Amino acid sequence: MTPLIEAVKLSKQFGGGGVFGFGARPVRALNEVTLSIARGEAVGLVGESGSGKSTMGRVMLGLTPASSGSVRLDGVDIASLRGKETRRLRQRMQLVFQDPYSSLDPRRRISAQIADGLLAHGLARPADIADRVAALLAQVGLPPAHAQRYPHEFSGGQRQRIGIARALAVDPEFLVADEPVSALDVSVQAQVLTLLADLRARLGLAMLFISHDLPVVRSLCDRVVVLYLGRVMEEGPAAEVFRHPRHPYTRALLSAAPNIDPGRRRRRILLRGDPPSPANPPSGCVFRTRCAWAVEACATAVPALAEAVRGHRVACLRVEDAALLGDPDINGPV
Amino acid sequence: MRRISTLPVVAVGLIAFVALVVPWLGLPDPVQIDVPHRLSGPSWDHWLGRDEVGRDILSRLLWGARSSLTVALFSAVIACLVGTTLGVLGGFLGGLVDLATIRLADIVLCFPPLLLALLVVTLLGPGASTLIPVIALVYMPGFVRVAYAGVLGVRHLEYVEAQRALGVGSARIMLRTVLPNISGPVMVQFSLAMASAVVLESGLSFLGLGVVPPAPSWGLMIGAARSTMAQTPLPLLWPCIALTITVLSMNALCDAVRSAVDPHGAVPRRLRWLLPPLPSGLSLAAKGASLAVRDLEVAIDAKDAEVRPVRGVSWEVAPGETLAIVGESGSGKSLSGLAVLGLLPLVARPAAGAALFEGRDLLRLDEPALRHLRGADIAMVFQDPMSSLNPVHRIGTQITEAILVHRSVSRRRAWQEAVELLAKVGIPDAARRARSFPHELSGGMRQRAMIAMAIANRPKLLIADEPTTALDVTIQAQVLELLAGLKAEEGMGVVFITHALPVVAEIADRVMVMYAGEVVEQGPVAEIFARPLHPYTAALLRSAPPEDGSLPQAIPGTVPLPQHLPPGCAFAPRCAHRQAACEATHPALEDVGPDRVTRCLRWRDMSATAQTQQVTA
Repeated sequence: MTPLIEAVKLSKQFGGGGVFGFGARPVRALNEVTLSIARGEAVGLVGESGSGKSTMGRVMLGLTPASSGSVRLDGVDIASLRGKETRRLRQRMQLVFQDPYSSLDPRRRISAQIADGLLAHGLARPADIADRVAALLAQVGLPPAHAQRYPHEFSGGQRQRIGIARALAVDPEFLVADEPVSALDVSVQAQVLTLLADLRARLGLAMLFISHDLPVVRSLCDRVVVLYLGRVMEEGPAAEVFRHPRHPYTRALLSAAPNIDPGRRRRRILLRGDPPSPANPPSGCVFRTRCAWAVEACATAVPALAEAVRGHRVACLRVEDAALLGDPDINGPV
Repeated sequence: MRRISTLPVVAVGLIAFVALVVPWLGLPDPVQIDVPHRLSGPSWDHWLGRDEVGRDILSRLLWGARSSLTVALFSAVIACLVGTTLGVLGGFLGGLVDLATIRLADIVLCFPPLLLALLVVTLLGPGASTLIPVIALVYMPGFVRVAYAGVLGVRHLEYVEAQRALGVGSARIMLRTVLPNISGPVMVQFSLAMASAVVLESGLSFLGLGVVPPAPSWGLMIGAARSTMAQTPLPLLWPCIALTITVLSMNALCDAVRSAVDPHGAVPRRLRWLLPPLPSGLSLAAKGASLAVRDLEVAIDAKDAEVRPVRGVSWEVAPGETLAIVGESGSGKSLSGLAVLGLLPLVARPAAGAALFEGRDLLRLDEPALRHLRGADIAMVFQDPMSSLNPVHRIGTQITEAILVHRSVSRRRAWQEAVELLAKVGIPDAARRARSFPHELSGGMRQRAMIAMAIANRPKLLIADEPTTALDVTIQAQVLELLAGLKAEEGMGVVFITHALPVVAEIADRVMVMYAGEVVEQGPVAEIFARPLHPYTAALLRSAPPEDGSLPQAIPGTVPLPQHLPPGCAFAPRCAHRQAACEATHPALEDVGPDRVTRCLRWRDMSATAQTQQVTA
């Protein structure tokens, strides 16, 4: 499959330069991340806070410029686009936010906010706007009669639907969903997940689904990419990564997620401490300071992302040993 | 935006109206000199008397209001338009525009306003047409800064970013989205600038640099009356009174605007509520439990009626036991926990019931007695540790204070204990970390520090309100482990309020499921999760993403608001098992087994279904 959008060796650093940032260390939010998404494919981007996953979404949309590397949409580097082409780019890719409260302007009716994209790209004649907005609301499961209401008149789940309708208004091919359900109650979370899965199937949307909630990623995504301190630790088909995680970090992450079914509870690999600061990452493998399997070599060499099984790539020096070292028996009972 | 109080609006409106209609009031000519009658006192024809050259004071006063307000209004409007535009451009576009606009404003701000005005007037010559741009220039930087600060606050909000992502042009975003959202502070700045412009205009006219004589102006009137003050003080008094009243009403209007646009404005004062006395038969002993809550109701006095977001909730925790209170937002789970400690939000109050703790009823204790209990026998941990830790004190100091409030030990000993506590909750290098400020710690560390503070006085009961919701899974696992260890070690009861069922499965012994302010099911966790008897519990369990990667099953609809409860079962509108009876009668909480209650008319059918499902599985 040819990718719809791909990120090639994408790096992003914040701060460090400038007159006033004198002496400050740059924060490396992303470090040579390569990622591709095919048409209609949903890729889950997983990691803890500070892993750079939200930055990745912003950079792929061209909302934040990359420090190095490139993002290509249909093979065209988005950084090379100018003027009209940039506007066209905005129409092809969209963003759904985490916080259903801060993502809608409290002072404007939702119809106006959904219509913004239609007007900006001239996608509908002024006379048809109302109909288009009504259709979009219906598409995300909201009564079209509510179009003239203000955001505060809706619940969190409904606001998230409005945010999705706003993104869908320009008929995008690629959607970045940045933790779209983590601020929602569990029953509403399921509603929004079902909606996203349904839209994806119906509209053939490619999706980058950013989340720290592994079960949620598993239920929605085809492929999953695990990010730690701005580097990809593991990447592969969702079912495969969740069933046979190979990187020690993925294993720890999976084992940390509490499980509703006591019979399925995993033996917990408790990570010690917090992730190191992205301003001062450890040498070699960035995960080694919290890794139970780390050896001296991990401090010197940065492990490359290598294919372990077809389509399943892992960045760990000890990926072979880790399997031999007595499997942590990730799916077994306690 | 709340409603503006009317008095200042009426006052300013009246002044403005008078100034507007002066030409049609039939007053004597304000510049008509009548030297023979100079300085004559108030009379029927000249209510306020005449000035030093015999002009009618009332007429000059009202015409003066006209010129004062005109100058103030035009200069404030110009300052507002230019300043806000520059501030918005600088804040939104950044870079060179930022530098050009903001630094320009800063340079203007560096001059004392009066000095700046003097300088410009001296250069351009006096007169109302010079005054307006001068005063506008003096007040413009204020608008630039206010708008700039507002834009910086709004610029990175998600709804602005969403518009950028949609490809909406910068000009449109600034006009349609940024501007309305910073209009509050700009309006406040405007009323402030109006009031001070009136004063500045009078000041400059007084110095002879403003309105040119013989045109009437309050500043000129004060200046002229000063020389005859010894003979008759009245002509001096009138313009001073006019100036004072005008500025005072404008300042009051400014305050009114500020409190109307400030969302954190007036907070209703907590009134002392009176609970009905406890039923006489009820014993205050909570048998075997460290805390027993009986029939708790929480009321919120809304505008038109009183709503009850928590109704008839009973629960208890034994020492060394963890009770989880589970529910969606709006279920009343947090209110049920906070009510016990007298920590309800200001609008809410307990309306009925009792909370029995060591022979006392917490709901009927006064605030000093509750304060004595809080942090000692009963401790709390909140979702956001940053809002419960004081940002300006070191965490060691805060824990030390918590110890010293409840126990008489030396400060040195308390600090030592604080360090031990930090080590106990798993903070590495505790002695050094005790000297850190909250912002220097990560989210997980802060939550550990909160827990250390909570257990500082060996509480018998710990109430934790969503303590891990804001944390990453790996950190959440650490904190859950810590809480489980502490509970076993200290033998304290734990009330764990959460919406995450997997967390409940990990940590709790018993669970209470709440829906729309009521308990719908309560019992041991293992039993309830394996065999839920209430359709809501069952649906909640199904809505968690399943292990096998399939999509979770959503519950249609939303939790009803406490003011719009359905007449029958509150869950009936969303329930797949509902029958006509469910919509007609409100089900009672029934005992359905040892230590298990449920609130469903059809629990027997549910039980049968659950059993067949277990058999087939």
